[in-house]
Amino acid sequence: MSAYMQSDSARQIGRGLAGALLVAAIWELSARGLNLPAYVLPSVTSILGGLVNDAASLAKAARYTAAESFAGYVIGCLVGMAAAVLVTMIPAARSVVLPLATAINSVPVVAYSPLVLLWFGMGMASKIVMVAVAVSFTIFLSTIAGLDRVDRKSVDLIRSFGAGRLAVLWRLRLPTALPLIIAGMRVSTVRSVIVAIVTEMLGAYDGLGWIIYQAVLQIDFVKVWAAIIVASSISLTFFGAISFIERRYVFWR
Amino acid sequence: MTQGTMALSDEGSRGAAADATGLIDRLGFSSGKVTMSTNVKLEAVEPAVTGEGEKPLIELRNVSKTFGAVKALSDLEVSIRPGELVTVVGPSGCGKSTLFNILAGLEEPDPGNVLRLKGVSSTASDLLGKVSFMPQRDLLLPWRNVIDNAILALEIEGMPRSEARRQAMEMLPEFGLAGFEAQYPNQLSGGMRQRVALMRTFLFKRDLMLLDEPFGALDALTRTMMQRWLLDVWQKHKRTVLFITHDVDEAIFLGDRVLVMTARPGRIKLEQVVDLPRPRKADIVTSPEFIALKKTLLEAIEEESMKSFQVSGH
Ligand SMILES: Nc1ncnc2c1ncn2[C@@H]1O[C@H](COP(=O)(O)OP(=O)(O)O)[C@@H](O)[C@H]1O
Ligand SMILES: [Mg+2]
Repeated sequence: MSAYMQSDSARQIGRGLAGALLVAAIWELSARGLNLPAYVLPSVTSILGGLVNDAASLAKAARYTAAESFAGYVIGCLVGMAAAVLVTMIPAARSVVLPLATAINSVPVVAYSPLVLLWFGMGMASKIVMVAVAVSFTIFLSTIAGLDRVDRKSVDLIRSFGAGRLAVLWRLRLPTALPLIIAGMRVSTVRSVIVAIVTEMLGAYDGLGWIIYQAVLQIDFVKVWAAIIVASSISLTFFGAISFIERRYVFWR
Repeated sequence: MTQGTMALSDEGSRGAAADATGLIDRLGFSSGKVTMSTNVKLEAVEPAVTGEGEKPLIELRNVSKTFGAVKALSDLEVSIRPGELVTVVGPSGCGKSTLFNILAGLEEPDPGNVLRLKGVSSTASDLLGKVSFMPQRDLLLPWRNVIDNAILALEIEGMPRSEARRQAMEMLPEFGLAGFEAQYPNQLSGGMRQRVALMRTFLFKRDLMLLDEPFGALDALTRTMMQRWLLDVWQKHKRTVLFITHDVDEAIFLGDRVLVMTARPGRIKLEQVVDLPRPRKADIVTSPEFIALKKTLLEAIEEESMKSFQVSGH
């Protein structure tokens, strides 16, 4: 059974790689064949060359951005879950907090970036805050939705066993919410990297966003693309890791 | 692996038949025990037959329950003696589950009621954690395997997991679940899920056990096997049981008494003592005494079903 699943996911990865190779080949051919200028589309081989040339600075920037994204992500997940649990435990808070959260969440968080840069400076802190805010709203809303999914009859059952509110939360509501919480966490991985990079573009001392911004100013489009590819790999790895955890721990439906 | 296949076939004819054969084996095996416990059982039944003999375990008087404009129960009176197995029948929507919710402490009846547990006046919420309750659906938790679903109540009581698991493992064979402890609910047939839910209820050792249509969703064959098995387990564990069903045969076959409820608002229409000897064999359902009881009960139920049909028709 598990061998079958493994070979299945191996086949999926294989297909993904084949697709990527195909896209790269078409890209390479059209960039060279049509003689496109670098600001439109540099060739794949020149981007690979750029990756090698700038390997050191790209690696440093990647670590920087990954650290910001991950720190903000963890904080955002914890804050979002904790707030959701609090709000469901205090029904009075719910009617106030939920519309507010939905309203704030409907404005793209990056709109707050200039303010956050002013308040927290150009260093890592401002990016971590931005990512944490973006992630926490998503996790907050998906956790609330998950906690609400609990079946009243199941709550009654475990109350009849003498369970108090905490036991109901721990043994029933949180596990019921887990599939939605993790789905929210999976979506948030990509979002956290995007928010970190966009905020870096608006002001930073390092990071992939900062590299992209600098490269555009220097009209070095090969470097822009190299940084974009590094950023995509970070996102994909992050996404893959959470998907793996999801498949492993949410085995029921 | 053959066991695994059986578990995976959900309630299909093959799964049900496999369930049933498994149970027949077990019943055959334990029949010696049943005869041995007969004497003990007769003592417990006697007061039920003669009445007045023993103090009731639980007593309800003037219990009504209104949901908005709907009056679900009206001046209900019920009294259950220790060790009795009392079955409850009535048209659907007459308030049977509401009665159980009150006894489990989940719903407070309208003011003016009397509710006594072992002679002590209580509110419904005092009963939370004191009654072992099995709701109409099995409500197994999909993220817990068989053994961990079975110990849910024990865990909430604060028993260490290892001790709770040990107790549950001992009970597995009796519930026909040996070897299935690590399976998850979505891998089990309907009959097995129901037995896991029953095991969870049995492991929560309380004086009063409430079973709400536990076999309602099972096919006829599995259901008959489960009834015989339940009597077997009940006689061994000597619990007081209140059992809701919509099947008159089941009500008579299992019960020391059958309570027939009226159409909504529910009251007790008829209280029928079932004077059939125990242990009861499967063929008892064809005995003249059984048929006579069935006739009386069916008439009473018919009358109420007609009423509820007319009410809901409007
Ligand atoms: N929580 C509730 N809120 C409103 N009405 C309810 C509630 N629970 C039960 N009822 C109503 O009370 C009546 C009796 O329901 P129930 O006890 O479930 O019947 P039964 O189990 O006998 O089929 C039904 O009309 C049902 O709609
Ligand atoms: Mg019901």
